[in-house]
Amino acid sequence: MLNITRRRGERVVLGDDVFISVLEVSGQTVRLGIDAPRSVRVYREEIWLEVKRENEAAAHATGASLPADLPAPLKSADVEGTRSNVVKPPQS
Amino acid sequence: MALAIESTRFGHVEIDPDTVIEFPDGLIGLGGSRYALLTNDPESPFLWLHCIDDPSLSLPVTDPHRFFANYQVELTDEDGERLGLDDATPVDVYVTVVAGSQLSEFTANQKAPILIWGGQGHQIINQAPGTDLRAPLFAEVMGSSSNSAGDPS
Repeated sequence: MLNITRRRGERVVLGDDVFISVLEVSGQTVRLGIDAPRSVRVYREEIWLEVKRENEAAAHATGASLPADLPAPLKSADVEGTRSNVVKPPQS
Repeated sequence: MALAIESTRFGHVEIDPDTVIEFPDGLIGLGGSRYALLTNDPESPFLWLHCIDDPSLSLPVTDPHRFFANYQVELTDEDGERLGLDDATPVDVYVTVVAGSQLSEFTANQKAPILIWGGQGHQIINQAPGTDLRAPLFAEVMGSSSNSAGDPS
């Protein structure tokens, strides 16, 4: 890992358009300012990690079916808007 | 011309190209740039968000409003600008579902909904208060009195 020492007010540049500023250092806490193009997504790592884990957990569900015999949904409205493709699960 | 994928979950699946959803940033931590929504039962509240470029990647999703009466999505200003979304944009909202062996073990991720509009999709971090990474999916519809989710209204 690249290791860089910075003082308050100094910056690090990633590529040509991502600037990370050290705004404040106080005890164990560092406040960073991030100036990046809109297309760059910025997350706190723990949030990114927990969402990644939930996405993986959802994707790892086994089989092709989910329970059909469900309690009545709160609303009877169909899933609106986006069209979906009808598939048949393979018979196993 | 139909797109065909050899899904590890569903086998051979034909995708109507008009239903392909572009995910410029993929799903958080999972990637993938093109997905489609599949269903094997039009009556089911669940859909499968299937990656077109990775036949082994698919996630069950559902419309959160069918399970959580007061569910709301709030974007950061940065996300709103980045995605070109405002309150007037009609958007379909889905949440990922982690299936369990019993209904009580099913959870939905209220914190990172997937927004779909105009043929594109983005998974965002929801800024609305009180959202749960693993919200019990059936708690409200089964009338669980033990989980009123602290809703004052």
